[in-house]
Amino acid sequence: MKRSIIGNQAVAYGALAAGVDVASGYPGTPSSEALTELLHFSQNNNPSPYVEWSVNEKVAFEIATGAAWAGKRALVTMKMSGANVAADSILSVAYSGTKGGLVLYIADDPGVEAGMPEQDTRLFAQWAGLPVLEPADPGRVYELTRYAFELSEKCELPVILRSVTSVAHAKQEVEGEYTYKPLGRKPEFEKNIFRYTKAGSAICIAQHEALLDRLAVVERTVRDTGINMMVESGDRNGLFLVAAGALIPYVREALSSWDHQNLSTLFLESVYPLDKELAGKMFEAAETILVLEELEPFVEMQLRSEASRLGWNGSILGKLDGLLPRVGKYSQEVIGRGLKTLASGMAGHSAATSRPVVSSERSDPGNEESAAEQPVAAELSVKHPITFCAGCPHRGTFLAVNRALKKIGLNQDNTVVTGDIGCTILGMNPPFHTCWTEVSMGSSIGLAQGFYWAGIENPVIATIGDSTFFHAGIPPLVNAVQHGANLLVIILDNGWTSMTGFQVNPGTSEQFQAKGARRVDIEGIVRGMGVENLQVIGPFDQEQSIEAIIKALQQEGVKVIISQAECALTVARREKRTLIYQIDSQKCTFCRSCLRETGCPALYVTANGKKSKHGQVMAIDPQACTGCGLCYTCCKFDAIHEQKLGG
Amino acid sequence: MYQSIVMTGLGGQGIITLANLISEYASENGLKVSLFNAKGMAQRGGRVTSEIRLSNDPELDFGARISAGKADILIGMEIGETINSLSFLKEGGAVILLNYAYIPTTMVLKKEPYPSFEQLTELYSGKTKELFAVKEPKHPYNMFLLGVFTAVAPAIDAGLSFYSKQSVEEGIAKKLKRGLEENLQTFNGGYAYGQSLLQHV
Repeated sequence: MKRSIIGNQAVAYGALAAGVDVASGYPGTPSSEALTELLHFSQNNNPSPYVEWSVNEKVAFEIATGAAWAGKRALVTMKMSGANVAADSILSVAYSGTKGGLVLYIADDPGVEAGMPEQDTRLFAQWAGLPVLEPADPGRVYELTRYAFELSEKCELPVILRSVTSVAHAKQEVEGEYTYKPLGRKPEFEKNIFRYTKAGSAICIAQHEALLDRLAVVERTVRDTGINMMVESGDRNGLFLVAAGALIPYVREALSSWDHQNLSTLFLESVYPLDKELAGKMFEAAETILVLEELEPFVEMQLRSEASRLGWNGSILGKLDGLLPRVGKYSQEVIGRGLKTLASGMAGHSAATSRPVVSSERSDPGNEESAAEQPVAAELSVKHPITFCAGCPHRGTFLAVNRALKKIGLNQDNTVVTGDIGCTILGMNPPFHTCWTEVSMGSSIGLAQGFYWAGIENPVIATIGDSTFFHAGIPPLVNAVQHGANLLVIILDNGWTSMTGFQVNPGTSEQFQAKGARRVDIEGIVRGMGVENLQVIGPFDQEQSIEAIIKALQQEGVKVIISQAECALTVARREKRTLIYQIDSQKCTFCRSCLRETGCPALYVTANGKKSKHGQVMAIDPQACTGCGLCYTCCKFDAIHEQKLGG
Repeated sequence: MYQSIVMTGLGGQGIITLANLISEYASENGLKVSLFNAKGMAQRGGRVTSEIRLSNDPELDFGARISAGKADILIGMEIGETINSLSFLKEGGAVILLNYAYIPTTMVLKKEPYPSFEQLTELYSGKTKELFAVKEPKHPYNMFLLGVFTAVAPAIDAGLSFYSKQSVEEGIAKKLKRGLEENLQTFNGGYAYGQSLLQHV
């Protein structure tokens, strides 16, 4: 059966075909749709695996590990940064290995289309000592997800399935079964402290040796599958092209319209550990090897090390000689540059003369040549900074922070407000300019304490969303309470993990929790920590919100404000609007206070004004307005009024 | 036949719906199709780009992404973002330009000049003669553009002649349940507009 699905959905259906029993994860672009699809499947099918959005990646990984140690098949999904959160457990579990198939799906983002580091998970996998499969396209994602469970069981190791945005979000026809085939295994967990604890040097040393032995098994096992394919050209010219994972289809495409079809190829979808036997065969026939892979020179470093061990004296073209970039996703131009260099037999070329120009722009193919070749386009170029949606409650919170600071003689340029991951960080953008920092999940509260202990004189404020608070904001708040730091923590609680596509989190309303799951109350957690100065506000009530912030800033010790209102987008999906706001063009003076303060995307400029000089006035898009009323609080000319909607 | 189509604009304009319709319809007609939606910031008014690749040769291998200078057709739904996408288009490729601007708050407040539709068409006419300027679009823009695309696609490439008015209408009826009548009406308006543009090319 064929269906058009994106790479992330292919992870879900590959896992279902492999009979996955437990799946967990934490949302993160570009990985989220894998677990979303499984969750959707489990809610609509019986039998189905157990699927959950966990509180963070570390917990998700531990849940999957527990299931796998009991002999079941388990999948855990996350974005590259999530692997850092789970690292402590991943490295430890690598030592113990696994019984049941344990697959970690981790999505990287060369070119940073989702906004986090260009972290290469393959290096992380090598650090942990775990095998890496890197599928070329959604169809291969399906096949290799399925295979990853087998490999994991055969080698008794967790397997990392690594994808990139260009594969994870590519929608293509995928041949698959699209059914769930439970294996019906009985859970059995063997009590074996030598394998499942780290208590003692002898145990750890033995586990480290076992890990290396298992990696050797991986190398042999994958060799027999033909996942890595070498094709030697007939004319034995010694020119080899090595391509890994997501680049394989682009290389095939380039080769099909390429005059030099006499190149030998090695396509790798299993990139760690390197198949040394296969590499050895290539070295026997090769004089020059071009390595094409995005981000770090991961395959290249393994090949160079093996070449050195074998005493091979041909040349390797790649990133370490400066030919190809380590930044951004590869365009056809970059691939073509590599192929041309290989075909011209430029062995031992000078790095200095061939160093590529790496654009500092985000690696959007549309931007690649804009500066150099399209000066007019560069001159006209505009950027649309992302902002809070129309009706977003976070707009109310940041508006209230700015207004409160102004009222007590401070402002956003002399008061440190730390930001955190998720929609709330948009408080750094215009028109708010409120947030100063963004580091990692939960870091707003830790950083704020550092600023306080450093002796920053003005009050320090940390801002964090609900899901981020649950994920990693609780320990730093405990720390602040224990050590008596003086800071205000504002938890912007919109009830959902919105930035990544409205996933449920522990604080989501009871009615949207999965069957058997329940809501965990942020207020109760904060009180339980011993925070005495706690206020709960509604961000659309500006008077109350400003008053609460000013009050908190005047108190000593740890203060927490929970700013509560549901995400405007989830509300809009569910409920009809009853009122919106409109602007009276007769009264509008085009002072633009509404736009200057709220930056609401429902506001726009139009003609037909009488009061204003140039006939321009502000207007509100009736389709976009949710009726939050924040613009109303900005207008000094009584030009903004409510409008009830029929029905 | 082998086609790379790029669509660009802002979140909320319905680009992804449009890209889905165009690519699903090609798939139903037996083409090998790949669709990539770059929509990370779509909901927050940010740039959205869809990349569609089509081939009638099932054996032809290609990646999902379209590189600079490789788009055969570019559909620009917002003036600023379409300017940013110029380098996608191959020399002499076809371009459908929509007269719609969303001016960012900061530029409104600073009264900075925003590029005009005339500047946009002038910029693109330096790269291609096959330019379809949709000067007076109707809401919803994505349906209007689907109409324009359906009218001009067979003229751009004979391989795209399966995009016929009747068949795409049937496709819309299958996919969209809400507001079908209004959408079809806009689609038809776009189709007529597209036909009138063809006469001027």
